[in-house]
Amino acid sequence: MSDSYIVPLQMECTLFFQMNPHAYETLDGLALRLGRTPEHLDQVLQKLVTLSILKRMGEGERAIYSYNQPDMIHVS
Amino acid sequence: MKRPVASGIAGLDYLLHGGFPAGASVLVEGAPGTGKTTLGMQFLYHGATVDKEAGIYLTFEELPEQIYEDMLAFGWDLRQLEKENLLRVICISPEILLEQMMQPEGLFEQIVREMNCRRVVIDSISLMHDGLDAESRKNVYRIRNILRKLSLTSLLLREQTDPERTEITYEHYVADGVIRLALQKHMEKYRKRTLEITKMRGTRILEGEHVYRITDKGIHLIPALSMVEDRGLRKDVSVVPTGIARLDELLCGGIASGTAFILDTNSKANYKYIMGSIFAQRLLAGERTISMVPSISTLFDSKRIMALFGVDLLEAVEQGKAYFLDHFERPAPKGFEQAVIQLNHVSDEEYHQYLDEKLGPIVNESRDKGENWFAYYDLNTMFSERGKSFVKRFFAEEVNRARAVGLTLIILCNFAEIDDETSAFLERTCNGVIRTWVDGAYQYLQVTKSPHGRMSEPLLIENIAEKPFIRLI
Repeated sequence: MSDSYIVPLQMECTLFFQMNPHAYETLDGLALRLGRTPEHLDQVLQKLVTLSILKRMGEGERAIYSYNQPDMIHVS
Repeated sequence: MKRPVASGIAGLDYLLHGGFPAGASVLVEGAPGTGKTTLGMQFLYHGATVDKEAGIYLTFEELPEQIYEDMLAFGWDLRQLEKENLLRVICISPEILLEQMMQPEGLFEQIVREMNCRRVVIDSISLMHDGLDAESRKNVYRIRNILRKLSLTSLLLREQTDPERTEITYEHYVADGVIRLALQKHMEKYRKRTLEITKMRGTRILEGEHVYRITDKGIHLIPALSMVEDRGLRKDVSVVPTGIARLDELLCGGIASGTAFILDTNSKANYKYIMGSIFAQRLLAGERTISMVPSISTLFDSKRIMALFGVDLLEAVEQGKAYFLDHFERPAPKGFEQAVIQLNHVSDEEYHQYLDEKLGPIVNESRDKGENWFAYYDLNTMFSERGKSFVKRFFAEEVNRARAVGLTLIILCNFAEIDDETSAFLERTCNGVIRTWVDGAYQYLQVTKSPHGRMSEPLLIENIAEKPFIRLI
């Protein structure tokens, strides 16, 4: 897959989890939600896990991705 | 009975006698647009904001972002509740959910524990199908068992594919309760939304279809057979039970002093135990009474029936607590003579004046002492002895006079034998209407009007061996 797709897809995935912070999706599930193919998203999800934007539970096809919600900073 | 869990819809809680039984899994089914999501979210929102019970909304197809947006229309800020850890709108696929629910220490259990979750909505259980009926049934059964094990009160939303067909599926058998939402034709060109509870283990329900609306505050349900409460009548009045448990429940304790009720009964119906119980209770409550002796029974019968209810009518007569109006010259039990006011020689013109002369001073003096009076009129006898026009004239005046002095009235009548206009007039004049009739081999009773605005469905009358000798089912 061309690297030029990676960044827009990363944004797409991040935005999805930001908007739906309690989504728990497999690769196939997320592909269905976003209207992409699993092949397009696989590499993107690995990257987001590495960046700690997403969490991964389990391994392989049944691995579940969820949002690593940033801690809120309260300004008094 | 299990603790009721409020649904967040007052009308629905009324139908459920308080709410869903705690820990129940209730199927909520309906066609698209009937408000299943709103009902589910209202249940969770109420739990979070009023009962401080955390809840989870599991959505398989609809994205949470859409649900957050839609629910803002009702003023429900779901994101805020999520921040307070009182709600989570979880987006997950049905297979993964099931897998995680079954896994020890799986995602589902972790979240439930972390939030101390008490309520769950699954949207929708229809997507648990995997093509094989036996396996799908097992999955739904599995989910119900897991929800029950974790003591979660849950709503399982189900899409109804053919609203015209009432299908019974395996989900109906597995669920503890079933609620059906529908959009129906109303007066040719309109539509009405109806809710019906067809099953609910662990609580009594009010059956039938009940109309609801989706308002700017969510679902608002108006239980069927409810009318506007007559608040003006209910202030600071004493209520005397009828002695018939279910009837007292429907009448919020009994018949309030100063109200007028009609007991409409067809010729085959046996009303003597209903009337007997009401009359006996008034005497036992210390009230003074006036009753019209019906053409078809005598004071000997009245004495016998009162004895069955533990009331010595002769003693009541001797204490000045029971007076009788009789249109016929006929024998009375010994000792009753002084209490019987003969009306057979009284003309229509003299009627009111005669009653005033005979009873006015007694009632007025007693009312000054704070005593309550109860009167029983047999309009069937009045119709036959004095005619319809007299009754129409007499009745309204009599009811008004009775109210003015705080008398409680029960009027026996057979609507079937009088014209529509007169029966409508009688119904309007009174605060309550109790109907009893025979249909085939069964006798029924229905409250069709009451000061509290409550009506009942037709109840079956069953004979029993003990007082009050009837039971309403």
